[in-house]
This record gives sequence, C-alpha cells and structure tokens, in this order.
Amino acid sequence: MSVMMALSILCILGGLFFFTTATIGLLRFPDFFSRLHATGKGDTLAVSLSLIGLALYEGFSLAALKIVFIAVFMLLAQPTATHAISKAGIRSGVKPWMKEEGKE
Amino acid sequence: MIYRSDDIIVKTISRILIPFIQLYALYVIAHGHYSPGGGFQGGVILGASLVLLFLTRGYDEAKTRISEKTVIIFASLGLLIYSGIGLICLLLGGNYLDYSKLSVLLHVNPARARALGILGIETGVGFAVMAVMFSIFFDISTGGVLPEDEEEK
Amino acid sequence: MNTFFIAVGLSICLLTLLVLYRVVFGPGVYNRVAAISAIGTKTLIVLLIFGFLYNREDMFIDISMVYALLNFIGCIAAAKYLEMGS
Repeated sequence: MSVMMALSILCILGGLFFFTTATIGLLRFPDFFSRLHATGKGDTLAVSLSLIGLALYEGFSLAALKIVFIAVFMLLAQPTATHAISKAGIRSGVKPWMKEEGKE
Repeated sequence: MIYRSDDIIVKTISRILIPFIQLYALYVIAHGHYSPGGGFQGGVILGASLVLLFLTRGYDEAKTRISEKTVIIFASLGLLIYSGIGLICLLLGGNYLDYSKLSVLLHVNPARARALGILGIETGVGFAVMAVMFSIFFDISTGGVLPEDEEEK
Repeated sequence: MNTFFIAVGLSICLLTLLVLYRVVFGPGVYNRVAAISAIGTKTLIVLLIFGFLYNREDMFIDISMVYALLNFIGCIAAAKYLEMGS
C-alpha cells in the first residue's frame, strides 16, 4: 500500500468520525442555537476532510482538481448558510436556553 | 414586496460566488454530449444564479444590473435561435433540423456540422429556460404588483 | 478498497436516518431547516462514493457539484422567507 492510499484512508476515516459527532450533537443538544453550532461547524469540517481524502485517492488528474473545487466551494458556502439561518432565528424571537434561577 | 438583506456577510459571499456559478452553468451546457448536462440543466443553474442575485439585494439595486425587460428579451432570443436553425436547414433543402445541410454555410464536413448544430440548439434552450425560471420566481413572489404601481396609489 | 467504500457509505446512510428524527420531531420550523441542510451535505458524500465504486467518477463529480449549489441556494431562500414572511 503506497503512502497516498494510506493518507486517503486516514482522511476519510477522520471525516466519518466528525460526521458522527455532528449528528450526535444535533440530536442531544437542548437548544436550537447549540444544534446550529454542531451541524454548521462539524459538517463543514467533515465534508472538507472527506473530499480531500477522495481527491488523494485519485492521484494527479483533472477529476482530483474538480473535487478540490467542490471542497473550496463548500468551505465558503456552508458557514454563510448557517449564519443566515441563525440571523433569521434571532429576528423571529427564538429564545436561547438559559439555566433556571433556582439551580446553582 | 421588496426584498432587502441587511447582512453584509451574505451580500459579500454572493457577490464573489455568482460569476463562478454562471461559468459552471456554461460548462454544463457546452458538455452536454459527454457528461450529464445539456441545455435544460444548464439553464436551470443560470436561473438559480439570477434568483440568488435578487434575493440578496433588493429590487431597486438589482434592477440596475438586469431588469425584467431584458430577461423577457432573453426568452424570445432563445426561441429564435432554436427555430431559426431549424428553418435555415429547411431553406437549404433538407428536413427540419437536419444539420448536415449546414455544411454548405460553414464550409466543414457534414459530421462536424451536426455537432455544431446541436451546440447552437442547446444554447438557445439554455437561454429560454433561464428566463422562464426567473420569471416564475419573480411573478410568484411579488404577486404581479411592481413597486412602481404601489407608489402610484 | 471496495469493501471500505461500501462500509463508509452504509455508515453515512445510517447517520442520515438518525438526522431524520430531528426533521420530523423538531419543535418549530427552524430546526427542520437546519436538519435538511445537514442531510443535503451527507448526500453529497454518498453520491461521490457511488461514483468511485462504479469506476465512473467523471460523471458523478458534476452531479454532486450541482447538488451542493442547489442546497446552498435553497437554504438561503428558506431563511429569507421565514424572516420576512413572504
């Protein structure tokens, strides 16, 4: 097994790990804004790592360059979409989760 | 209803990304014979880029870039290209949309004339689909009432 | 290598089914919009892995790029509509 193949398997496994943690965060967090943190940041990193792993598996060709273009576009566009949703949430009056007064 | 976006992040990112989206749509139109794509798919992506332009700026700012009259002219232009190529083939002595007769006009052999004819037709379809996609979005969202009509009341 | 790709693809499909719970049961509409954006991102990777399995990666790269574009534009349009109320 050459070095490129080992690196690509490592990157894809890292992407799968971050996908798992982002999904667990989406299910278990108590509030809308914390869930948005989990899915916005975790999903973007996971997609970028997976795409770099797949591009390394290809070698030096035109297809690998196109995959790198998709990765750059995802890095630019996904945080912008998260920002737009969160701004819409604040303006419509979704309340953040605070600790109650009685508990210390 | 006039759309306005007060976000500076969304405005800046869409200003960077819209030319690249349109370039990718032209690539999809041109490579219809080899990879999935063609006239209709490229036209949908072009229409989506115009929708993004109108979403992130208001109606007043985006009107200076591309007005609604220009988009309607594009729809007719696309249809004119499609039927025009078909009619030229008919006038040169073949069937409707028989591209091999175009080799007399362009001085190439008939196989190459067929490929160029298909490229021309895909371009026409792309323009028409882009205009229709944008018109559907615009008419549904404003309900047919332009802001100039609202001010006159 | 093929079995590795199949295993990764099946795991991501399982994660998508877990996110579907948040689409159905999310209290309010904003949770649902965020979950649909997450589903779209996972679908992109599954499409690429399909392309690599069948040895026709040139075709599936164009398709996944188009899906990334449409996911982004749809998310922004939904957020705009919910904020301003048509």
